[in-house]
Amino acid sequence: MSLLERIGRGHLTDRDFAHLWAVGGGHPHLDGCADCRARFEAFDQWVLGIGEEMRTEADAAFPMDRLAAQQAQIARRLEAIAQPARVLAFPKAARAVISGHSHVRRWVTVAAAAGLIAGVGLGQMLDTYRSLDRSARANAPGAHFTAGVSSARANTGIRPASLPTEDDFISDADAFSRPRVGSALLPLEDMTPHAGDLVDRSR
Amino acid sequence: MAGTSATLTAAREADAAAARTVKAFQADGQHADARERFAELVARHQRRASRIAYHYLRDAADADEAVQDAFVKAYSHLSTFREELPFDVWFTRILINGCLDRIKARTRRERWLVPMGRATGQSEHAPVERDLTDRVATSGPSPEESLLARERRQQIADALARLPERQRAVFVLSHVEGCTSREVSALTGLNESTVRVHLFRAIRKLRTLLAADRGAAAPAELKGKRRVTS
Repeated sequence: MSLLERIGRGHLTDRDFAHLWAVGGGHPHLDGCADCRARFEAFDQWVLGIGEEMRTEADAAFPMDRLAAQQAQIARRLEAIAQPARVLAFPKAARAVISGHSHVRRWVTVAAAAGLIAGVGLGQMLDTYRSLDRSARANAPGAHFTAGVSSARANTGIRPASLPTEDDFISDADAFSRPRVGSALLPLEDMTPHAGDLVDRSR
Repeated sequence: MAGTSATLTAAREADAAAARTVKAFQADGQHADARERFAELVARHQRRASRIAYHYLRDAADADEAVQDAFVKAYSHLSTFREELPFDVWFTRILINGCLDRIKARTRRERWLVPMGRATGQSEHAPVERDLTDRVATSGPSPEESLLARERRQQIADALARLPERQRAVFVLSHVEGCTSREVSALTGLNESTVRVHLFRAIRKLRTLLAADRGAAAPAELKGKRRVTS
């Protein structure tokens, strides 16, 4: 049946069917025309078929296991909402070496202790070396010349008031550095050698 | 349509009760109980939400993320849920807004990127295997039947993709999810009579597009549609 024939007879077109489908209700022509009723039923099936195809397609994309995984993921995300945010260390490279593995930490500790001990030992050695050097210089031949000059100065009675003698200096230093100790420690104090003793002994 | 059926009414009452309980638990700080109760709502609406998101986004992974986001957002903003609207309508609105945001973001992204299909010389509307599930063999229909069904679905999907956004939304909600015009109106924010007009136009256009795809449309019908659309 052609379109002209249908219109001529007052039959319904696809446009009318679509309108009936969208708006609902009925059409008086459908009650009296079996042909249009059949066509409308076919149209109805076609539209329902599209909906069915679309549902099938979506359900194929979301099988049960996927829905279960989605549900679990939603539960995890809801749980994460209640928990406070985690603070991440940033930047990662700026973390202290000490906070690394335990063996690294141990090695760093040992190296630091060895460095400290070496530093203290070297300091002590340098101090001893300096004092020995000073005493060696005092025993050197030039030192006698200096002593001679000073004794000559003593004989002539010329002595600058601003320059104290070496002996005065050492005895002053000794007296200054002598710790103030109680009477109970005096025997120990006497046993301990002093810089002044060394000078006297060298003479 | 099943919008007024007793089953639907009962399901909506159950939704409203569950939503009330979740809100009460949230207010009392009992979050574990609130989550447990909300899981019931998730289980009840998950499939429907996945279908809607899939038809909007045409990508299973995207749809999956959109559904998750919508449920998380619904849980976070449940305190704003008022019971004048059914829970499923309120939730679907959140979901649709999320899908539309994703479509916008995707459009922006695709403006700067060349799609793989075009880069490799494939047709824009060629059937694309979107998901692993497309490859899974089923024990039911024969390979030929599966192929035909797949082609048919692809034709429908292509025709739907050619519909304007609102027409597509109205058609999907009406015919895939069985919503009434009033519900679609509440979901989309469109006037109820506008919904009917969109639905009418969507059906008419789909009829034309699918008939043209099949190549078996009656010339008289095609002429009729041309006359109507002009």
